[in-house]
Amino acid sequence: MTPTSRTLARGPVWPLFVAVAFAAVALTALVLIENQKLLGAALAITAAVCFCAARFGGVAATEVAASENPWLLRGLLTLASLAVIFVLRDDNFGLLMLATVLIYATICLGLTVQMGYAGLTNFAAAAFAGTGGYTAAMLGQQGGLPDALVLVCGGLVAVFIGSLLILPVLRTRGHYGALTTMAFGVMFNVFLDANDFFGGPQGLKLPGINLFGWDFTNDIHIFGLVLSSYVNYVILTGILTALAMIFVGLLDRSWVGVWFDVVRLDETAASVFGLKIAYWKVLAFTLGNFLAGLMGAVYAKMTGFIAPANFTFGDSLVMVSIVILGGIGNRWGVLPAALIVVLLPEKLQFIQEYRLIFYAVLVIAILTMRPDGLVARRVRKLHTEASA
Amino acid sequence: MTSLSNDVLLESRGLTVRFGGLFALNELNIDVRNGEVLGLIGPNGSGKTTFLNVISGVYSASAGKISLGGIDITREKAHNISSYGLSRTFQRSRLCLSLSVFDNIALGAQRTLNNGLWHNVVQRKAFAAEARKIAEEARELLGVFNTALPDKLFDPAISLGMIDRRRVEICRALIGKPKLVLLDEPSAGMTHDETDQVVDEILGIRKSLGGLTIIIVEHEMGLIERVTDRCVVLNYGKKICEGKFRDVAADPVVREAYLGQA
Amino acid sequence: MGMIGQHLLNGLMQGTIYGLVAMGFTIFFGVMNVIKFSHGDVLTLGAFGGLVAVWAANALGLSVPLQFIVALCVAMALTAVVGAGISHFLIMPLRNAPPLNMLLMTMMVGTAIREAIRLFFPNGTNPQRFPELLPAGGFNIGPSFFRTDAIILIIAGAASIGAVYWIINHSKFGLAMRAVAEDTETARVMGINFGRIIPLTFALGSITAGFAGMIYALYYSEINYSMGLLLAVIGFTAAIVGGLGNIWGAIIGGYLFAGLQTFVVAAMPSMSDYKNVFAFVLIIVLITWRPTGLLAERGSERV
Repeated sequence: MTPTSRTLARGPVWPLFVAVAFAAVALTALVLIENQKLLGAALAITAAVCFCAARFGGVAATEVAASENPWLLRGLLTLASLAVIFVLRDDNFGLLMLATVLIYATICLGLTVQMGYAGLTNFAAAAFAGTGGYTAAMLGQQGGLPDALVLVCGGLVAVFIGSLLILPVLRTRGHYGALTTMAFGVMFNVFLDANDFFGGPQGLKLPGINLFGWDFTNDIHIFGLVLSSYVNYVILTGILTALAMIFVGLLDRSWVGVWFDVVRLDETAASVFGLKIAYWKVLAFTLGNFLAGLMGAVYAKMTGFIAPANFTFGDSLVMVSIVILGGIGNRWGVLPAALIVVLLPEKLQFIQEYRLIFYAVLVIAILTMRPDGLVARRVRKLHTEASA
Repeated sequence: MTSLSNDVLLESRGLTVRFGGLFALNELNIDVRNGEVLGLIGPNGSGKTTFLNVISGVYSASAGKISLGGIDITREKAHNISSYGLSRTFQRSRLCLSLSVFDNIALGAQRTLNNGLWHNVVQRKAFAAEARKIAEEARELLGVFNTALPDKLFDPAISLGMIDRRRVEICRALIGKPKLVLLDEPSAGMTHDETDQVVDEILGIRKSLGGLTIIIVEHEMGLIERVTDRCVVLNYGKKICEGKFRDVAADPVVREAYLGQA
Repeated sequence: MGMIGQHLLNGLMQGTIYGLVAMGFTIFFGVMNVIKFSHGDVLTLGAFGGLVAVWAANALGLSVPLQFIVALCVAMALTAVVGAGISHFLIMPLRNAPPLNMLLMTMMVGTAIREAIRLFFPNGTNPQRFPELLPAGGFNIGPSFFRTDAIILIIAGAASIGAVYWIINHSKFGLAMRAVAEDTETARVMGINFGRIIPLTFALGSITAGFAGMIYALYYSEINYSMGLLLAVIGFTAAIVGGLGNIWGAIIGGYLFAGLQTFVVAAMPSMSDYKNVFAFVLIIVLITWRPTGLLAERGSERV
């Protein structure tokens, strides 16, 4: 009779092992394989397996296992990541792509908080990332500041620039709100193109990351193995992504997540029950912009170069597409979506020239045929918290 | 009228709401006494829902004064008014359908919860304790309805039928232990039998909570007759009559207002 | 001082183009509550269609005025068909989806059109010269020089704005359109053919884009694959500033934006690279001050 006596049926754990192992193998294969025909075959197999898993309950079983064993999930993901890094240890290009995917994914986690949770439209994510990147570049020219602080400053400056937009973002809704961030995103580029102080269209060069005395341009020597210097960036971006994932996940499974959802779904009900709409919107906007700025700074440092062309309105659009593609509001969906959007055009040579049109058609197809995205967001169930 | 006696919970004086040139409420003086159930009736467009909206802060008053428990709330924002002990339901169901029943009910207890980022993200044990407490209270409240609702606490609100959604809305309004609850057409969208059932349940809950003050807006006169201690009749934003339902219903002015409408 | 006339003419020209584009946004929004962001790229498509038509007409040995007429017809027909097609195959199926999905969808349709032109038009990455089809030359009033073709284009643009306004407010088709905009369900019950009015409305809105594309091409004598994107952002801005769904608001918004740009160029020539930055900042301030536009109070979300 008591609520706690209704024990939840625990699912099997093995689907989690299988899923993580499969993801790791598929990822490694997609990065490693150069031969276009083989790559096509690998892609087809991956897609087919994913489709079957979704069709015959494999995805659902994995989700259950993952939510019941969060620490096992985290451990397995860490192991799998290390395995992937080990296999790809001297593939510079592959590692660079992986880090880029992780950077995009993390920025999109920020967008998930803004758009998926609090319902703020943001068509300037790339501009906020760019703000972080330029901050890193300018601070790098001055010198003196340790890189850990430089990266954080990237996030903080993005938050600051975002706070200039906060009034229009709060006062406008729907399409009117889309305009403000869109205008900002376009403006950002026009401004940088015209401004010599920030290097104009040619952009700025900046040095790589040096974190707590460890220079990221060094190769890693460990157990007699040599890991490419890019492993540094994959590890850093991987840790940042993991932290952001955990943070956003905890946020979602807390009152804050519930209030974000209510603010998005029904402002009237929210305010009648005491939620201050402006506060929650500012909070979501700030968190998202911080992540964008931080990862923008990492990106600039990693590529050693920053220019307006890297942070166009089109790039903001790509980021929004990743969020929609993954399933808006679902933080796990961001990973495969970022992978598809960032990695595929790099790997499939015949797409490279056509990448934008590829995105466009992909997003149109998703929106018409599967508007909830690849992995639709599930209803939040706080029952584990509420009935322990 | 002894309007200044200290058992008045909500008091409106000269309350006026204008939309452009239209007077939705016109110089309205209404007293709601502690512990009573006040029925607000009147023809369509007479300003009943506007009255609820203005005292809950959804609209702002053009003129006049509202005080709740002796505190002037006329210029307060909606999100502050709830902290003075006011909550409500809506005419059209305003549950967040894609959220669970639990999430929806928790909203009603929002001002008693810790909203700090640190508490929510880092102090997970404390958060879980809070969630457990709300879940228990929610189950208890849902249990009053004598249905399977407590077992559906973590189901999405969209999976519930109309009557259960209304029950959840009522729980959401009650879980924050308000002093005054506004019920806006609790019968809307339900059959006659369902309405009767919900009314009994509301009365039951009220009894168990002990003397909750309620303002109820309703078209269903049978319901008004059964639950209200007193009624105020509005027409064109003005109070045209006040008293026990039986007396009000017999009043020629009221009859004319309704018939004139029809 | 001689520059003032020049700036005035330039501002009027840009304002006319922006106003035409903004009017398209307004028509789509008014009828379907949709922001069709691909509008700017449909405009580009119209201009490129016109260019091909001129080439073809030239190859057939047609005279210049005939080339002009052929180009105009092709541009307008092409945009009409594409506009109706987009509405029928992509927008209608999504009409109950969240506004964000729709906005993203039309943005992506625009991207697809833009990229298709860049990739599949011969030498599409580079700007294309658009032949001069209107009489050259001009005249002086005081110290200012006025280009004849610019005057013609401004008059034509203003006339087309007037024509569309007339169609919407006084023709039978316009009446049906407004009925659908007001209340889709009632319009359907009243026997208005919903399935035909919507594509026709989108065709009408897109024709204005085709027309604006031709004006742009003839005035600047150069077109490129990406010209529609900025025009779309500016047109959308103008429509928003005027208040979505309000035709006059859109036109005023268009001239206002052009006025702001021109003012920056005229008052601070050294800052002319920043003219769009200034214009956008002012627009953001304006939209903060009046969150639902200058004229209309109509929200973009249904409650």
